[in-house]
Amino acid sequence: MRFLVLIFALFLSACGKAPLVQTKSYVFGTLVDISIDGETEEKAHEVTSQILQDFQRLHHQYHAWQSDSELSKLNQSFGAGKTPMEISPELSQMLTQAQTLSKQSQGLFNPSIGGLISTWGFQRDEFTPVEINDAAIQKLVLANPQMSDIVIKGNAVFSTNPAVKLDLGGYAKGYALDLALTQLQKQGVKNALINIGGNIIALGQHGDKPWRVGIQHPRQPKPMATIDLLSGWAIGTSGDYQRYFEQGGNRYCHIIDPRNGYPAQGTQAVTVLLPPSPQAGVLSDVTSKPIFLSVPDHRANTAKTMGVEHYLVIDGNGYVTLSASMNQRVRWLAKPAKITVQ
Amino acid sequence: MKGALRCGKPLLGDVLVIVVGLIFVAFLFKTLWHNEQAAKLQIRLGDKIYATYSLDQNRNIDIQGPIGITRIVIADGKARFESSPCPNQYCVHQGWLSHKGQAAICLPNQVSLELLGGEKPFDSLNY
Amino acid sequence: MPNSTKNSRIEIHTSPDDHRIAKLAALAIGLHLIEAVLPSPMPGVKPGIANIITLFVLYRFDFATAAWVSLLRVFASSLLLANFLSPTFALSLAGALLSLATLFFAQYLPRRYFSAITLSVLAAFAHLVGQLLVVRFWLIPHAGIAYLIPVFMTAALVFGVVNGLLTNYLLRISPAKFDEDKG
Repeated sequence: MRFLVLIFALFLSACGKAPLVQTKSYVFGTLVDISIDGETEEKAHEVTSQILQDFQRLHHQYHAWQSDSELSKLNQSFGAGKTPMEISPELSQMLTQAQTLSKQSQGLFNPSIGGLISTWGFQRDEFTPVEINDAAIQKLVLANPQMSDIVIKGNAVFSTNPAVKLDLGGYAKGYALDLALTQLQKQGVKNALINIGGNIIALGQHGDKPWRVGIQHPRQPKPMATIDLLSGWAIGTSGDYQRYFEQGGNRYCHIIDPRNGYPAQGTQAVTVLLPPSPQAGVLSDVTSKPIFLSVPDHRANTAKTMGVEHYLVIDGNGYVTLSASMNQRVRWLAKPAKITVQ
Repeated sequence: MKGALRCGKPLLGDVLVIVVGLIFVAFLFKTLWHNEQAAKLQIRLGDKIYATYSLDQNRNIDIQGPIGITRIVIADGKARFESSPCPNQYCVHQGWLSHKGQAAICLPNQVSLELLGGEKPFDSLNY
Repeated sequence: MPNSTKNSRIEIHTSPDDHRIAKLAALAIGLHLIEAVLPSPMPGVKPGIANIITLFVLYRFDFATAAWVSLLRVFASSLLLANFLSPTFALSLAGALLSLATLFFAQYLPRRYFSAITLSVLAAFAHLVGQLLVVRFWLIPHAGIAYLIPVFMTAALVFGVVNGLLTNYLLRISPAKFDEDKG
């Protein structure tokens, strides 16, 4: 009798486990896709909504242009002078990390150029062509806002350069991924996949196979390759096809070169793959930009400096250059015209 | 029938033709029944699944989203965003979706399209 | 308007062959009609037994006669079924034309190696292709039919063989040449 009860209980518990719970939601100004495998539907939904709530909070707290966000208030304080402002420990930590990464990238990753981003019209929900005001752009470039201008003492922060205007667009999604991963682990979830606007981090596996991620083709509505994302690994892509506008036959994307104030030209996409670490998410978001902004000859070097071993670049012609280790991981669905392994 | 089989005995050439015919039919099954063909279109509005349609029937679907009406067209076994109230029209420029796993999205109006049909080649898309 | 100064009535001379052909044509139409009213396992899949007559006529007479019988069957059946000039008629005609074209060439295959089975199978495939072309380019021009093509082709193969066997049988049991007026 007890044996029967045991079998029955096991059977019930097996029925309770949902195979895969996938939730898609519009948060962070983009599409967020959370998949949880191997948990009961109840728990999966509970954990998912908690994570989505966290994302909402991050989105509002660190919003680059909504005037009531903590970040905007800090920007106002920077612009007003050198009086320090008290910020949340979380923001303080984020800024410290951003400073380190900015230095590491020799200024190519520069989240303090909010002024430039705004001038190009990318601090809006919609992107329409803007009148290119070269004078204003040059002025902003000359003002030379840098992360190193920011002085952080505990939770009190000020800037020595009033032109510093923080925009954490190339950082916040990655930060959110790391946060979500920690949350999932805390909640005891073993297998999940989180996708924030294309940036993905994996936990565990999908059943008995690793999570498999598709890499979007920069010019066609289909994936060009797939890659297995092992537990803890994160993948991020910077592309000229996500946020851009076209004017006068040119494409102006949202990745601005701080050195000349203009959007980068000549590259369609850069994809980076990061191994497990407490900042895998952040790195997957941040490190693609410096590589995107580097000239082709310097890309391998930049990747190395940023500690990126697995990267893939698609240039303006659709030709692919990738690192040897990335080449081993990538499974092509649509082989590009030219592939160079370096 | 038995009588016919006996009296209408197939000749050598007949057997050849039948064999070739069988190979041809097998080939057709292999190519036309491969699961690359997408069978269904799933439309999401906001967080929820709005509707799922078979791609075999041509139709127009108008969806009311936060900023206006997005029109989706299913024709010739493919689907696409025909028109949308968003300023950039990225969704419309995505063009026709015809294979499973392909997706397009109108972020401002929170409408997304995905072609379902058999096993997806990947779990999530990096872009 | 007959303009005859010599005779006051028109004489149409028919031969015994004409009678035979007319009877066969009638038989073909009859078979087609029976098939039209019988339920089929799947829409579009029909055994096509009227084609046995076409093949039989091809062997016993000549291609021109077979073409005659076949087309007559198509037109007469559609008139009788009240679907003249409808999509059904178009399908029937397209199928008949393409299978006749195929038979025109296939009839020269050496009879030592190829019997009516071969001609029947080839004609069946051609018939189907003709119909698919009409569907694809006129009636339902979307990709949905791709899934059905292998199924239809299989049916064409199977029924082609069956009809071929039946034709062989009929050819064997009927006289090689019609000398007398036989029914």
